[in-house]
Amino acid sequence: MRPSDKAKVRHRRLVHVVLIALSFSLMFIGKADLVAMRDLRMSSNDFLAPVIDFVSAPIRGVETMAEGIRTVASLRAENVRLQAENDLLQRWRRRAEILESENQQLRSVTGTVSDEIRSLITARAVTAPGGSFAHTILIAIGNESGIAAGDPVITSNGLVGIVYEVGRAYARVLMISDINARIPVMLASSSWPGLTIGRNDEYLELAFLPAEARPEVGELVLTSGHGGILPAGLAVGRVDRVDGDDIRVRPAVEFRNLGYVSVLIGGTEGVDRSDLSQGSFFTPLPIDDDKRLLEGVNASGTRQ
Amino acid sequence: MKDQQSYFEKADFQSNLPKQFLVMFVAVLLVLLEVGLAQWPFFYGASPLLSLIFMYFIMIYHDELMPIMTVFIMGLIADFLMSDILGGRATALMLLSYAMRVGVLRLQQSDFMDLWVGFAVSCTAVMLFQLIVFTVVHFAVPSLSPLLFQLGFTLILFPIGFVMMFSIQRLLQTLQVMR
Repeated sequence: MRPSDKAKVRHRRLVHVVLIALSFSLMFIGKADLVAMRDLRMSSNDFLAPVIDFVSAPIRGVETMAEGIRTVASLRAENVRLQAENDLLQRWRRRAEILESENQQLRSVTGTVSDEIRSLITARAVTAPGGSFAHTILIAIGNESGIAAGDPVITSNGLVGIVYEVGRAYARVLMISDINARIPVMLASSSWPGLTIGRNDEYLELAFLPAEARPEVGELVLTSGHGGILPAGLAVGRVDRVDGDDIRVRPAVEFRNLGYVSVLIGGTEGVDRSDLSQGSFFTPLPIDDDKRLLEGVNASGTRQ
Repeated sequence: MKDQQSYFEKADFQSNLPKQFLVMFVAVLLVLLEVGLAQWPFFYGASPLLSLIFMYFIMIYHDELMPIMTVFIMGLIADFLMSDILGGRATALMLLSYAMRVGVLRLQQSDFMDLWVGFAVSCTAVMLFQLIVFTVVHFAVPSLSPLLFQLGFTLILFPIGFVMMFSIQRLLQTLQVMR
């Protein structure tokens, strides 16, 4: 081996070691959630998102084509189903109008202050979760449009997640199915509070329910509004399986087909949104405390 | 005398830099394609590791075209885009590339089945490394079924990717001879 080759091999080994050490240390620096790292992530999102958009255009095209073929094949059956659904929805609409009017009358009688009104901005989902370790999506909207970290992201079916990184033109959304997502919820029919926990899977885990709660399969799970970040009453999912303490919730939104989402802006004035990581914001209810808590229910589950 | 020798050494060889850039470009493109593939409902949450197939092939037959910096950039971009632990995949890929450099001669002489088995081991090792890091950092184990799906589908795609890259390589060699 010539001396210059030896030097090359030494140099290559040194670069190897330095890069592996750098990469290894990045894992811990990234975890420290430094502002610089967050800025770096946001800048890289802004830089790379248009490229992904361009690269995935053919994939979207193929998917649209396949969807078109499927739709054409089932057009007649779909038409019949939609007509039946339309009849049902019209009946529900009449019912909703009656209930809304009754609700307004009751609010005026009791003097209840209605929730802060939030405005809605629709954005396209640029990516979908591609790995098993994080369930996040990039959406084509950024701080230029006035969105901020902590804003809820929804579709017409229910809650998708919350915005947690905002760049100039793109933002990253932490989905409710991510392992770091903790959503304060309540059971729609019994109002028992709890938390849904993501599992990087298609189902959520429903935890921290009071011992007296008896969730039933098919029961609707809604956001409770606890903490002020998320408005109350957004559909999170339905109870899919109850096996002792292991309660599984199927999300209301079909995440596999997310094309467009809406970001709810405003309505969280005065709420500290500086730390949205690791669920530290959503503290579970204390067990041995009988203070008055959510919805008139204390931590032991007794109504007060 | 020494200067003269190094001058002639430099003149002897053609620079690999343009080819290395081309390989890096393709590798990054494949990472972006992986992210894009996740939009297909079938690959939701578990898109196949196309960039790993590419890296494995190049590392065996043209390791001089894939310097460690390319592997680092590839891994880092994947970490950024998939919102994984920053440096997790980059470290796993770099460790794999180091291990492959050590045993590259044995791999070059292996038949296809051995290469496939080798790839299965490499792919599992990369995922296992990421899983361990994730578990240590988050104190939680993610659902394993998407991981297994991702692993299985990547292994199924390996022969197709391998044949495609082999054909491209042969085509390029033929073009080079004709020129």
